[in-house]
Amino acid sequence: MPEVSVTPESFEMVFYDSAVIGEVVAEVAERLGIDEAISLEIDEQSPLGRSKITSYDPIELWVDGGALENTQRPRQFGKARSRDTIGRLLIRIMDRRSGRFDDAPADEDLDLNQFAAWDAHCVGRLERLGIGGQQKRRQYQFRNRHGFTDVADAAFTQLWDSSELSWTEIERISEECRTS
Amino acid sequence: MRKIFPAEELARDARFIRQTNEQRLSDPRGTRVAGGNASEQLAKLTPGLANGPDRARALMHGIFVGEIQALEGAGRTCWDFEVGEDVPFELKLDMARQCWDEARHCEISVSLADHMGTELGEFAENGLLYEAACNPDPVLRLTGVNRALEGLAIDVFNTMKEFGNLAGDPVLEFCEDWMLADEVTHVKMGSDWLRRLTENDKERLEKALEFQKVVDRLFSFNGFRGEDDDSPIQLTRRFRELAGFSDDEIDEIADMSREARAEAPS
Repeated sequence: MPEVSVTPESFEMVFYDSAVIGEVVAEVAERLGIDEAISLEIDEQSPLGRSKITSYDPIELWVDGGALENTQRPRQFGKARSRDTIGRLLIRIMDRRSGRFDDAPADEDLDLNQFAAWDAHCVGRLERLGIGGQQKRRQYQFRNRHGFTDVADAAFTQLWDSSELSWTEIERISEECRTS
Repeated sequence: MRKIFPAEELARDARFIRQTNEQRLSDPRGTRVAGGNASEQLAKLTPGLANGPDRARALMHGIFVGEIQALEGAGRTCWDFEVGEDVPFELKLDMARQCWDEARHCEISVSLADHMGTELGEFAENGLLYEAACNPDPVLRLTGVNRALEGLAIDVFNTMKEFGNLAGDPVLEFCEDWMLADEVTHVKMGSDWLRRLTENDKERLEKALEFQKVVDRLFSFNGFRGEDDDSPIQLTRRFRELAGFSDDEIDEIADMSREARAEAPS
């Protein structure tokens, strides 16, 4: 099991337990084959759902408290949502380290279309590993960025179903929707 | 069958989780509103926002549970009052028609939730709409529900319709447009019955308008609904006029939102 450090150690605004969060992060990392230390910083004041990778090596993640929340029970920890959030971040790290993403722009330079396309590819793979899912939610996000068209739907299916696309392929699929 | 059915006992299956107003308002991070949160500087809901599609999903789920409660509320109004003693038969007929509309809106909302990738019950349900529909005075009930809450629905549906238009999503745009047309009718019913039932009772009219203000204020978190370009939900002047609101009344709601926005923590 990878070693996980969670900041803060205790929470005032939400009913989260850092030990439980650490277990979920370690479980997701293990299923993805990541066996190295992971730091996770949580902004418990924010109910939004943002998340980002602050360092690829060593692995350091940052999330809004809302990104780990149970949407049915506000302020409560949501295991499924947390797996989805952490899984997406970790699989992006794996992509970046694979050599297939060497020509991808830095995270802060990615636009919403690129993020939506990459997310579709990430979450599709996570679902097949039994982590996360919500295919229709991702498709709705993808359609918002690439159009409510048959071309965009076919592109989404390709991104979702593929096992190891390169950044160049993701870019091409995303671009084709926008120009169709 | 008993009159005035309590909000806590509304029938829901295991998918739905109710969040009380106390829980909602005591969240130290701010109140959930318009698919976002009152503590953030909520931008106008558009697909161009990074969290735009997810905010739209959450808002659509809020609309869905609102439709269920509106159906329950209008249904109760058909039953809770006696014809002749409390209300004219024609008022009940309007409420029956509204039930029909709300039932259709529930079905449309279920389809839209599926279209947007939302599971039923994915978000917490707040029961404030139905609670306003428990007022024992039919005039206050119709004013609080049909004028304040259905008035807010006009603003929300119009915002969602624009969201669909901007996203190039014809399903969302058309569904919202059709529901919006019904909401204007529901608000107009509220305006008409308020005028007719208080024609010779100024005190009751004032009480009803005060109740409407209370309900409007409850839904004015940080002035999220307003006329400023960056208001998360746009106050829809034209449709409100069609629904029987006077210019002064619309100005008052806009002012209330502006004040709430100015008082919001930055």
